[in-house]
Amino acid sequence: MTFAPALTTLILFLAIGIWIAAILDAVFYRRISGQGGVSVLSPFYAAAAHLSRQRLTTEAPDRLNWYLAIAGYLAIATIGLAVVPFGPETAVIGIKTSVVLWGACESLVVVLVFLHGWSPNSPLALIGAYRYVAIGLPIMLLSMFVLIAAALPARSLDLRDIVASQEGLWNIIRQPLGLPLFLLLGLSLTLRGPFDYADSADLAGGTSVEDSGANRAGWQVARLAMLVGFSAIAASTFLGGYLGPILPGIVWLAIKTLILMAVVIGLSHLLARMPVARMLGLIWKFLLPIAFVDLLLAGLVALA
Amino acid sequence: MTDIAFYALSALAIWSGWRVFRVDSMIRATFALMVSFICVGGIALLMSADYIGIATVFMMAVEMMVMGLFMVMFMMNPAGLNPMQMVHQHRFSIGAGIAAFIGLTVAVLATNLPNNPLPAGRDTLHDLGVELLGGSMLIFETAGVTLLATMVGAVVLSSRPGRFGDSDAGAVPPGLQPGGQPAGRKVEKSGGHGGHGGDSSYDMNMKGAPKSDDAPHKRHGKMPEEES
Repeated sequence: MTFAPALTTLILFLAIGIWIAAILDAVFYRRISGQGGVSVLSPFYAAAAHLSRQRLTTEAPDRLNWYLAIAGYLAIATIGLAVVPFGPETAVIGIKTSVVLWGACESLVVVLVFLHGWSPNSPLALIGAYRYVAIGLPIMLLSMFVLIAAALPARSLDLRDIVASQEGLWNIIRQPLGLPLFLLLGLSLTLRGPFDYADSADLAGGTSVEDSGANRAGWQVARLAMLVGFSAIAASTFLGGYLGPILPGIVWLAIKTLILMAVVIGLSHLLARMPVARMLGLIWKFLLPIAFVDLLLAGLVALA
Repeated sequence: MTDIAFYALSALAIWSGWRVFRVDSMIRATFALMVSFICVGGIALLMSADYIGIATVFMMAVEMMVMGLFMVMFMMNPAGLNPMQMVHQHRFSIGAGIAAFIGLTVAVLATNLPNNPLPAGRDTLHDLGVELLGGSMLIFETAGVTLLATMVGAVVLSSRPGRFGDSDAGAVPPGLQPGGQPAGRKVEKSGGHGGHGGDSSYDMNMKGAPKSDDAPHKRHGKMPEEES
């Protein structure tokens, strides 16, 4: 695959992924609340409803940063998906340091979600923004150790090499601590469930409380796109990405991405959100040491 | 193509660097600086320094976020939303700016900069790793530990002295009237179900105002004067 087909694959993967993620989200919510039946067209109805509403604004907002935050979040999600290899040696952004690029995407998400809450000049959005930074930064720190541990057996910072290194044994078995910790990052990056400190209901929508019309639709699409991008990265890092028998690589990648997307959405509906202070304690005192252990074990295995 | 990208990134880096000093909010200044650094990271990418370029983006995003947060906390500017003057000591800073510009320009023009393009396919990442953990390890480790110690020291030093005295000496704001009770929020001693009457801001606002006789009955809590 050359660049143009790879880019087409990326766009299709992202678009279908966003659609399925939206349906899964609705299905899980319905199942838990004991209702049945979700139309596969429901995401389009929701989008049409958002787009037909007018776009309201606040008093003295920072318009540039507001729009940049929404567009940037979607762009970062797309860049994240672009480093995922769709087949051997095939990724839209095929560079030797693709894991570092994904790390840069993670850290920019914190900045963009903060700006999205800061720009409207509105109290609840602002509280969501600051609260998210407090949680988003340490959870990102944790994911760095997990990713370095995953890069060690491949002896490379290239996601293509990391997938190739899982030919015999997937990282989920080699490093059992890695995927659970990484999934927590996914909840944080997509502003979901126990890590939804930015857009949660207790702040009436948090950073997106002032979004309406096309802005809100754009932000929701970006969140779902980030879920797709994150799940594809996690599938490549821990579940062997495109590796698998008989079926073509892209199908395996899609199946694994779908499974991880369902897991993240399920977790987001089943786990409750803690107070910020308690969550900070949990991350710094408990989860971060576990990430150190994960890295230490990976290092010892690499030495042996 | 590379040239166009270089000039575009350079122009954006300089423009956003200039904006840092022209905007009126700490958060805007912080992220303008971040954009400037990201452009420099992009230029590093153009020079085949993949790792350094992307790591610059990565580190600057985190650093600027933390820096913005700390500036807002230390400057006591709620949320950084209020417009504020971002430049101070005008004469000194203009002088320092001109001196730094001349110094750097002389340094760039006087240096014999290397001009040896990398062969395609050269693994710069590997070279960088060998350099960092080989010949330059002592320098980098020393610098790293020194910076960490400096950061811890800076936080300790800056968090002790407060607006109303040292924090460990129990800093309290002065009274609204000379010799009066400390202003600001009071911790409720009784605890439990104080209700809305115990709202300390109510006490603070009522300090100077004439009190009517029925005021205590309307509230669930006690007036501070009655307690003392």
